[in-house]
Amino acid sequence: MVTLRMRIQMLVQKWYQVFESSKIPQSFTLLYDVSLRFSKPFMAVSHYICLASVLENGSNYQDLLMEMTGQKTVPNVFINKTHVGGCDKTMQAHKDGLLQQLLGGESEVYDYDLIVIGGGSGGLACSKAAANLGKKVMVLDYVVPTPKGTSWGLGGTCVNVGCIPKKLMHQTALLGTAMEDARKFGWEFSEQVTHNWETMKTAVNNYIGSLNWGYRVSLRDKNVNYVNAYAEFVEPHKIKATNKRGKETFYTAAKFVLATGERPRYLGIPGDKEYCITSDDLFYLSYCPGKTLVVGASYVALECGGFLAGLGLDVTVMVRSILLRGFDQDMANRAGDYMETHGVKFLKKFVPVKVEELEAGTPGRLKVTAKSTETDEVFEGEYNTVLIAVGRDACTGNIGLDKAGVKVNPKNGKIPVNDEEQTNIPHIYAIGDILEGKWELTPVAIQAGKLLAHSISLKRAVELYGQENLEVFHSLFWPLEYTVPNRDNNRCYAKIICNKLDNDRVIGFHYLGPNAGEVTQGFGTAMKCGVTKEQLDNTIGIHPTCAEIFTTMEVTKRSGGDINQAGC
Amino acid sequence: MAQYEEVEVHGYEEFCKAVSERKGKDIFAYFSGDKDEQGRSWCPDCVKAEPVVRGEMEHLPEGSVFIYCQVGDRPYWKDPNNEFKKTLKLTGVPTLLHYGTPQTLVEERCFKADLVRMMFTED
Repeated sequence: MVTLRMRIQMLVQKWYQVFESSKIPQSFTLLYDVSLRFSKPFMAVSHYICLASVLENGSNYQDLLMEMTGQKTVPNVFINKTHVGGCDKTMQAHKDGLLQQLLGGESEVYDYDLIVIGGGSGGLACSKAAANLGKKVMVLDYVVPTPKGTSWGLGGTCVNVGCIPKKLMHQTALLGTAMEDARKFGWEFSEQVTHNWETMKTAVNNYIGSLNWGYRVSLRDKNVNYVNAYAEFVEPHKIKATNKRGKETFYTAAKFVLATGERPRYLGIPGDKEYCITSDDLFYLSYCPGKTLVVGASYVALECGGFLAGLGLDVTVMVRSILLRGFDQDMANRAGDYMETHGVKFLKKFVPVKVEELEAGTPGRLKVTAKSTETDEVFEGEYNTVLIAVGRDACTGNIGLDKAGVKVNPKNGKIPVNDEEQTNIPHIYAIGDILEGKWELTPVAIQAGKLLAHSISLKRAVELYGQENLEVFHSLFWPLEYTVPNRDNNRCYAKIICNKLDNDRVIGFHYLGPNAGEVTQGFGTAMKCGVTKEQLDNTIGIHPTCAEIFTTMEVTKRSGGDINQAGC
Repeated sequence: MAQYEEVEVHGYEEFCKAVSERKGKDIFAYFSGDKDEQGRSWCPDCVKAEPVVRGEMEHLPEGSVFIYCQVGDRPYWKDPNNEFKKTLKLTGVPTLLHYGTPQTLVEERCFKADLVRMMFTED
């Protein structure tokens, strides 16, 4: 049988205990206020606060409490099993700081609930989400200027020196092609069409400026404190922020998110930092780059080389070994061939060994010396601009991670995390391009590391499933828009990889053609839903489009059949 | 106390003239619906925002220009083809903008003193 004494003892075992008559006591309101200040949600507090209404057994409770504590009156306050006293004693304890101590347990007071280091795709998404949940958040973003002095505003790589300016300049190149084709469709204009780099660059930079401003306003709106300063850890819960004037300020937080992203790698050869540029500089170049050598075989190298050539510039791409390492090599080579037929020169199996300046200027003249990777051959060439695009390195080397104890992969500077993006230090998380083993893509960073619909390359599919269990369907096609201007007949290519052991489920999707992003998005979702070859075949194609090719693929790679298309 | 020049204009032509006479200067412009003889605008948001904006003007950069522009009466403003909407691309009143940059604050955003201050003190 549970005696009243036992019941009181049981109640006292919970964290907070306030025995009171039916009115809400002053001390309860006080406890509520103080506990909120320590970010203990009210729900959790009320779970522990049990207002033992002593209406019914009033005098019995009070007699027993008198016996247990020497106090006859209510309210009678217990916190964490410690008897605090009545109303006056509780108020005094609050004044003395004893209340905070008892309520806070061992939790300390930090300046912020969360500090996010890095204001790019990952950092901004994270800080806004945290602010929406009512947390006190700070974001620090700082762009270390390039060797050429280029810098930019809030928003990270994608907005300032990545996806956005790249796509806009790519569109610029596409419009140039469209104008060429236009005459064949009947548009008549007599003047030669030329391109003004400064006009394009100003328009692109202004758009980026509006995005930077938009982020500033949106952070302010959500009460996220944005500081334009370089952050480094000095202790596990404390960072030092240095602004561009060198002023140092210190901040502490309960939790941290690392979202510092990457910057382009240089070659480590004489003249690279003095005379060469990277993608960080290209989109802010105040003058047209002219005759350009792109060093590298990454998608950055090929995309930049591609749109520069599309603007009418003389472009050469110097490649050490293969194109687009990590991508389906069949697609990579097709893309390379396509670029070659459109005037991009490739210097394959060469690496630059030095860059010298022949003449300063905007642009100047540079001499590049390169060596073959296979023979003794030496190459010398003259260019206005040398663009280095050989990879990107994570910005984890100079932010004091050793002071916080965060483990970093010494080979690539990336940070290993678990499925919750937590580093080896429980209160420090990491997201975006700096993560070990994750796709370096804006939407991935935004999804905080969750992989999106992910296409398997043929090589990887063979590794996983075995050649005999895969069926590859493929086809060349000719976009209707290209027929009249007689452009690129049978150069566009579509391929899907199916798993024969699983109903011909589509596990790989590849497309080389116009509007690749728009075409692929829907199929990405279809693959996530487990689309099979039969379902694709049963889908009514939207005509005339490029995407419809995926609903009518018949020829397999295995059969060796002819995949040239006759046109509609 | 910051040294800035305040200019009052009425209508699109006067606005353009004021800007062209101050080439090379850092210009901030505040667009409001016309005020009546009692000094009250037909635009309630403009009435609300003006004291907030004026309260932050001490943060304007040295040597800058603050143009207070009454755009016109309500029917003029409602016409989607008025010059402010067509050429300056304004979408609402009040609008506070940093001329020649993408920095703009529209309608309720002008009620927030810290956003106004952010615009005046932006590097």
